Amino acid sequence: MAIDPSMEPMLETFIYESNTLLEQLDEILLESEKSKSLSEDHINEIFRIMHTIKGSSAMMEFNNVSTLAHAVEDVFFILRENPERLTSVSEALFDVVLEASDFLKSEVESVQESGEANKDASGMIVELKRLASIMRGTASEGQAAGAAPEAAPQASSSEPSAPLAAGRHRVKVFFEEGCQMENIRAFMLLSQLQDLCDELESVPPHPENDASLCSEIIKNGFLIDFKPSTSVDDVLHTIESAVNIKTYELLEDEASGPDASASEPAKADAKAADAKTANSAPAAASPAANAGKAKQSLISVNQAKIDQLMDLVGELVTTESMVVGNPDLRGLQLDNFQKSARELRKLTDELQDVVMSMRMVPISGLFQRMNRIVRDMCKKLNKQADLVTEGGDTEIDKTINEAIGDPFMHMVRNSMDHAIEMPEERLAAGKPERGKVILSANNVGGEIVITISDDGSGLDTEKLLKKARENGILTKPESEYTDKEIFGLIMLPGFSTNKEVTEFSGRGVGMDVVRKNIEKVGGTLSIDSKRGQGTTFTIKIPLTLAIVDGMELAVGDSIYTLPINSIKQSFKISDEQMADDRQVILDTDGTEMIMLRGECFPLIRLHRLFGVPTEITELNDGIVIQIENNDKIACIFADELLGEQQVVVKPFPSFLNKYELKKLGLSGCTILGDGSISLILDANNLLNLL
Amino acid sequence: MSENQIMTDEKNLDDLNGRYLSFYIDDTFYGIELFHVTEIISIQPITFVPSLPSYIKGIINLRGKVVPVIDVRLKFCQEERPYDDKTCIIVVLIEDMQVGLIVDSVAEVVSIHDGQSNTLPDLGRQGERYLSSISKIGDRSILNIDCNKFFQNDLQLY
Repeated sequence: MAIDPSMEPMLETFIYESNTLLEQLDEILLESEKSKSLSEDHINEIFRIMHTIKGSSAMMEFNNVSTLAHAVEDVFFILRENPERLTSVSEALFDVVLEASDFLKSEVESVQESGEANKDASGMIVELKRLASIMRGTASEGQAAGAAPEAAPQASSSEPSAPLAAGRHRVKVFFEEGCQMENIRAFMLLSQLQDLCDELESVPPHPENDASLCSEIIKNGFLIDFKPSTSVDDVLHTIESAVNIKTYELLEDEASGPDASASEPAKADAKAADAKTANSAPAAASPAANAGKAKQSLISVNQAKIDQLMDLVGELVTTESMVVGNPDLRGLQLDNFQKSARELRKLTDELQDVVMSMRMVPISGLFQRMNRIVRDMCKKLNKQADLVTEGGDTEIDKTINEAIGDPFMHMVRNSMDHAIEMPEERLAAGKPERGKVILSANNVGGEIVITISDDGSGLDTEKLLKKARENGILTKPESEYTDKEIFGLIMLPGFSTNKEVTEFSGRGVGMDVVRKNIEKVGGTLSIDSKRGQGTTFTIKIPLTLAIVDGMELAVGDSIYTLPINSIKQSFKISDEQMADDRQVILDTDGTEMIMLRGECFPLIRLHRLFGVPTEITELNDGIVIQIENNDKIACIFADELLGEQQVVVKPFPSFLNKYELKKLGLSGCTILGDGSISLILDANNLLNLL
Repeated sequence: MSENQIMTDEKNLDDLNGRYLSFYIDDTFYGIELFHVTEIISIQPITFVPSLPSYIKGIINLRGKVVPVIDVRLKFCQEERPYDDKTCIIVVLIEDMQVGLIVDSVAEVVSIHDGQSNTLPDLGRQGERYLSSISKIGDRSILNIDCNKFFQNDLQLY
């Protein structure tokens, strides 16, 4: 089934909206399942989500999606009437609804890819119907009660002009001209109002089901009858702040009877006042009046556009450096130019910050998905475990978020599959029956540190070594391996410690792929483990991928860029200091150490480390730069400082991946203003070399 | 020979089959399958990258893209010689990665038919393992490089 061309502009909105709703649904379901009950709010929420999906998919003519959503909606309709009936079907219900949610997700995905959604959902629908009938059956007297309210709205809606019951109000809403899809907008308005009203009916009754109602709504307006749960003002306020509403008016129904207004004269007054303000509002639709209203102003933007914007900003930064550092300007006294250049720099910095912030997403979404995995695996493997998340509000770049999604999933699966023991084993080991998998994210300096830890069995170093020996991936005598190195073995290709391949993990392609994916976005992965107490994976990812403030260093003919945030200080060593031979000390293993104000720091000579020929080899001819990371400080020696520049980080060509330049302290390269390439130093890895 | 681009999009893949770009290392005449080649550029400033095998000279800036370059002379275990204005970089695409090959000079595009090629005698010599066949064009012999064998070492991870 192809999509009606006229629907195409709506398609993206549909996909975006459905995905958001389905994510919300998953969250609710998992939470409810944990607490083994559904609160009234949750039932209503699920009902509403399904209702919306049903409506929008029916409009997009994805009939299978809408029938399934309808079946789920039916089940929750019954629950809404009588929540106790949940007990009769609880387990099965969660499973089938989660299954339905998966189905819907995959359908939305296929819509996204091919514009079609036509998989068969009849199995799930039958199951849902069965559950519905069980629930109806367990309380047969409720069936009539359940049926009654269902009939009621139909009855009243067939008579739009029916008199209003006491305490009810009627509002007529007109949408902005040309805003399109008035029926769906009307429906959205209804669902917004649902929370605020005890009773809610509309004319036409189910606007979302029939696109042909649009013209009717445009012509006659959209009538809403409601009985507010708090005050009329709240409802009117919601209508007022809803999107695309042109005008609305509160209709006073004469048929509501004199006694209704007589019994509540005060309320009637209030109503009249409301009507007045409401009526005057559209008339006074001056910009000033609207300006004061805080409208929710989120728009969704195609990611490709943001990527493009990011690239452009990158180019802009490079070009700016090219202009400001132009060789033609050398030696000129240009005060005004410098002033403007600084202004420009400030603006590009700001622009860059804004663009970066646009790309940031909280990591909680990723954590959320792991909930689902832990749940599913607990069921399948008969294990018991809880997922604990910390720091879900930490924000990371969207591309990184996507890149680490799969590795993350894999690691959580690994923890569940290999680490967390069966409940009996856990009890025998004196641990709580339920295992724990902790995900935490943290913003430390310029890095995001994400840890995945479990309180499972921990890594068995002997088993790992044995396995590595069998696979022939050991490179030195076994006795020389430290624990940390042994843990590192599991990240090598072709290593799997699980005896058999399971559905979830254990094909032995796991951890090395995980490591590669993380390294692809400039991150590092390390493992720590205590036998019998658990394992912790630590992922460190740079906060900003694309642009760094760097200091250009010359070493021989090469130019290196050192990120400024890792520089502590730089200094020249004077000839007198050089003459004092206590300045440089040789450690027993040949490492050079430099004495600074009574403290000793290791010295890295870049030209020696990288094998670059240079004439400047004496410390007093070049420059010494002190660098630091969280726990180490060292000094590096270069020929000279060339100046500060913002650079756009490019990864090394993948052709060079096998040479592990990262380990050598090079994180990537960048193209300078004059077109030459500079290599970017990574203080962290340089310090790790020591 | 500056920016002498060989357009591949005008001809479909069939047309490229059996067509080789020939180049010289000293006086030896080599051929490389044309469908690997994306462009030919003159020698560029090369940025040295530490800890690479000596035949990978470093990286160049190809219109904003960073591309590694291999000196074919060194890869063939021959002596290095200074680059001059005839030195060219042939940019090839292998497994979706762009790599530049530094050669003494680029000659021409030749068509080689099946009948013209002979498989190699098994000499077990070093350089031979990169070749797929030897063809006779007129009175000259052309040594055809097998790109997959040529890059085999570099494409193996670990």
